[in-house]
Amino acid sequence: MALGRKRTGSSKVPKLQLTSMMDMFTIILIFLLFSFSNNPEQMSLDGDMKLPQSTSKLDYKDSIRLVLTRNELKLDGNVIATVKGENVEGLDKLYDALKNYRDVADTLKKDVNIAERKEHILFLCDKEHSFKVVNAIVKTAGRAGYPNFQFGVVETE
Amino acid sequence: MALRSRRREDIGDDELELVPVMNMFLVLIPFLLLSASFYHIKAINTSVPVLSSTSATTKGKPSKADAKVTVIVELKEKAVVLTATCDELSYNDLVKLETEMPVKNPEVYPMEKISQHLQYIKDKYPKSDTVILVPTQQVAYGTIIRTMDTARSANNAELFPNVVLSGKVG
Repeated sequence: MALGRKRTGSSKVPKLQLTSMMDMFTIILIFLLFSFSNNPEQMSLDGDMKLPQSTSKLDYKDSIRLVLTRNELKLDGNVIATVKGENVEGLDKLYDALKNYRDVADTLKKDVNIAERKEHILFLCDKEHSFKVVNAIVKTAGRAGYPNFQFGVVETE
Repeated sequence: MALRSRRREDIGDDELELVPVMNMFLVLIPFLLLSASFYHIKAINTSVPVLSSTSATTKGKPSKADAKVTVIVELKEKAVVLTATCDELSYNDLVKLETEMPVKNPEVYPMEKISQHLQYIKDKYPKSDTVILVPTQQVAYGTIIRTMDTARSANNAELFPNVVLSGKVG
């Protein structure tokens, strides 16, 4: 009997001290969840795209999203034009698409939320592009009925 | 007696089973890390000039201090030119607000000097709130954003919150 007791005592598996690791994980988890709640809607940018930095503190609004990477122009995620050197090919498609948005927004003007969403364009552009390229795009958008923009930038400290 | 002491021992050894919680954390944290973004995207409001169907009307003649001056900042290859336009001011008053700053390197514009001149105009005509930015074709988008920042605020004070981006006409 005495032997039996001894054996069970010696075969006791040592337990890992997980409490400190739990504390660390809890802190990381809370930090990550807070960083999500800070700006619930995040956008993914192409890897080679570099947004300019700015001191602006203004949050962007949900709107039509125009993204100009090094080689492509995307409207709400779909490639609509390409950039070759300093020329943008396919601006007519951009004009047609935006004009279509404009017409839909005008038709649905009674619905406040939809009308608000279509009032301006969120423009995300690589900082290396020249004004020639940018101007061609913003002018086309202006002609299609969207003269107001929000330029997306990365916040500086 | 032996039984009692064993029970007490068992009660003393009871610990929370943390392993399943750890497992959950180990799944959650990589997932959150992968989808987290460590940069904050902000926005600058701007617009492009549009044709207006309404004609400009003058509502009496306000005093000079109440004048709303619109500043035009031209980013040229070899200089930055600042001019001003305002219906309420005379030609001579507007000429006094003009300045030209030479640029040695087209990639480095004198933002400090631009800021100082804009502050001077803002101090003189505090109701002014609009800057029209006119870059040349070769100016990089990053430089345009920096100029917008310079025009919008200086030393945490608001200068010209409305920045209009325009191409050179003619």
